[in-house]
Amino acid sequence: MPIVELQHVRKVYDTKVAVEDLSFTIEPGTMFGLLGPNGSGKTSSIRMMIGITVPDSGTVSLFGQPFTRTALARVGYLPEERGLYKKMNVMDQLVFLGQLHGLSASVASKRAHLWCEKLAITEAISKKTEDLSKGMQQKIQFISTLLHDPDLILMDEPFSGLDPVNAVLLMDTLLDLRKQGKAILFSTHRMDQVEKLCDSIALIHRGHLVLSGSMRQIKSSYPRNRVVIHFEGDEGFLRHPSVESLKRYNGTAEIKLRPSATLADDAQSLLAQAIAHARVTRFEVMAPTLEEIFIEKVQQESPAANGRETTRVAPAGVLIDA
Amino acid sequence: MHNVWLIARREYLERIRTRGFIVTTVLIPLIMAGFIFGSAFAGSKSKSDAHIAVVSSDMQLVLDLQAQLQQERPSRATQPAKRPHITVDAMNPGPDTRTILGQELDAGDLDGYLWIAPAPAATPDARPSFAFTPQSSAQDSLKSTLADALGTVLMRERLTHRGIVAADADTMLQPIDIETVHSPKHVDPDSAGVSITVLFFLMYFVIMLYGMNVARSIIEEKTSRIFEVMLATIRPEEMMAGKILGVGSVGLTQVGIWLVAVLLYGSSFAARVGAGNIHIGLRPAQIVYFFIYFLLGYLFYSSIAAALGAMTNSEQELQQLNMFLVLPLAFCFVVLHSVLTSPDGNLARVLALIPPFTPLLMYLRVSLGHPAAWEVALSMLLTSASIVAIIWVTSRIYRVGVLMYGKRPNLPEILRWLKYS
Repeated sequence: MPIVELQHVRKVYDTKVAVEDLSFTIEPGTMFGLLGPNGSGKTSSIRMMIGITVPDSGTVSLFGQPFTRTALARVGYLPEERGLYKKMNVMDQLVFLGQLHGLSASVASKRAHLWCEKLAITEAISKKTEDLSKGMQQKIQFISTLLHDPDLILMDEPFSGLDPVNAVLLMDTLLDLRKQGKAILFSTHRMDQVEKLCDSIALIHRGHLVLSGSMRQIKSSYPRNRVVIHFEGDEGFLRHPSVESLKRYNGTAEIKLRPSATLADDAQSLLAQAIAHARVTRFEVMAPTLEEIFIEKVQQESPAANGRETTRVAPAGVLIDA
Repeated sequence: MHNVWLIARREYLERIRTRGFIVTTVLIPLIMAGFIFGSAFAGSKSKSDAHIAVVSSDMQLVLDLQAQLQQERPSRATQPAKRPHITVDAMNPGPDTRTILGQELDAGDLDGYLWIAPAPAATPDARPSFAFTPQSSAQDSLKSTLADALGTVLMRERLTHRGIVAADADTMLQPIDIETVHSPKHVDPDSAGVSITVLFFLMYFVIMLYGMNVARSIIEEKTSRIFEVMLATIRPEEMMAGKILGVGSVGLTQVGIWLVAVLLYGSSFAARVGAGNIHIGLRPAQIVYFFIYFLLGYLFYSSIAAALGAMTNSEQELQQLNMFLVLPLAFCFVVLHSVLTSPDGNLARVLALIPPFTPLLMYLRVSLGHPAAWEVALSMLLTSASIVAIIWVTSRIYRVGVLMYGKRPNLPEILRWLKYS
């Protein structure tokens, strides 16, 4: 039974189509990445999953049932725009938010203390929220999302603005939760995080789903045509015939090989030439990174979308608004 | 319902703990008390002493007038503050009398002088002419006090001329005093009027203050982006209801504290300040009606304020819109005098039935006038109905508005929001 199921969801605001024919499912015990450029409809989709807005058409199901507000007691939501009551004491705030999710005051307080210990912010408990650093406030918000032990956790850009130590701490927490069988959806621009954490993804662009499925499936559907070489010395070998395009960084080259039936052999011959001319410290053949897939997909979509919005000049020289 | 209670409780506890609450609880009554007792005190003080000069060639007239003005009236002795004590200097007109008197006026030694010129012809009915020159800061009532006294003196003189014995004339001219006897049900209307006016001001201030508080706290939640967290669990309607109830309870608590304080200490405080004639004469019904109309007024205006808060993004933007709150309330102030003087007049009867004005004006009518029962019932019904309508509109604006950041919506956009489900 999928935890979340969106079917042909469509949402239109005044002048803008926010989401169009969006369908995907999230299974229990998975980490789901919702990806897309700014303004692509990620937040709109998440808002429809928790009933802040209602789709114009299509259905949203949570826990195998059509959406009802009672299901919200099992959902934890961390919005992109973080918000806490600034003047409120941290513990009062956590207990209040826990109570809104149906916990009793004593249970909420007990769990809040446990979580604060786990995330190493016990010293913040007695303080006012506005006296905390931004990272600490973010942890408090993170705790408030998880306090009622939700089965579905929705996080909009959970790691933005965190230092690496705290980002890793929160990632590990999320991985723990996944192990407990929770379904976790998070949206992000950081593709390295997605590759590391996610079991499956959905990539949306301009409100349309452009790519979805399990991480492994998606990766295996792309040929292993990327080569990364770290080297010192002459870079003449980069003019190898099988190189279609390349990016040069300091001591590093990222190469895309020309499509061919014998990609593995092409890579071997490139390696041989490289060793002949330079000192190679690393050589890796791999499928395109998610970032590359992302950029490629978005770029594929864009010209078509742009074409629809521009004005054409008819042969007679009359402007037609398309 | 549980969520509404949680929101309201948070709102209430967080507000009641702030320094702002304590400060306004103490300051507002102090300001109002200062205002009321200050003016009462100033009034009683300026009345108590007056020093005038009377210039006339007819010394008998001056002496009679002096006696009349300084005469104690036994029935008024209980309220000495109301009776000015007037010292009269008698003077004969001389060539430089006016200059001397003018200097004394300037120096502040005199509050005014009365110049009596003899009657032009010697007919028995001819009166002398009187000219009173007051000092600029002198009491307005001085002139009428003088006119009263002069009237009595001249009347007595004429009566004696016509052969009536002086003692009889005195008896005839004895001023009539109507003593006010309080029935247990109807307190002295003067002091009731003062108390009701104080309550009117209180209602005005508290509705305004807490209406703005609702709007401000919505803006605060919008800027701190707490809304999205909240909306993930509860409905916007619940949030709005909780907020209005919570903030309103703070207002009620504050008014309750004031009322208890006034009932416990008010009379003794007033007596100590020296304005003993102002006492708190309120019927229980007047207090009950106060709370009913306060609640109606608060709900009416705070729902409007909630919509204003949801539509705006900052205090500055709110300032541009708060005329929707201030204008109808201020209008009640404009008509306050006419309603106070004739609480059952046509103007008062019509205005008190118009919902934005009902809470303040119908309260005045109920307390000071005699509105028909159907008028009271209708006023409550109309106001309740419009509150329901406003909340319906507001909750729609609220639902969309709280998630809108950026530019302030224009009217067509707001109308479109009403259609969103």
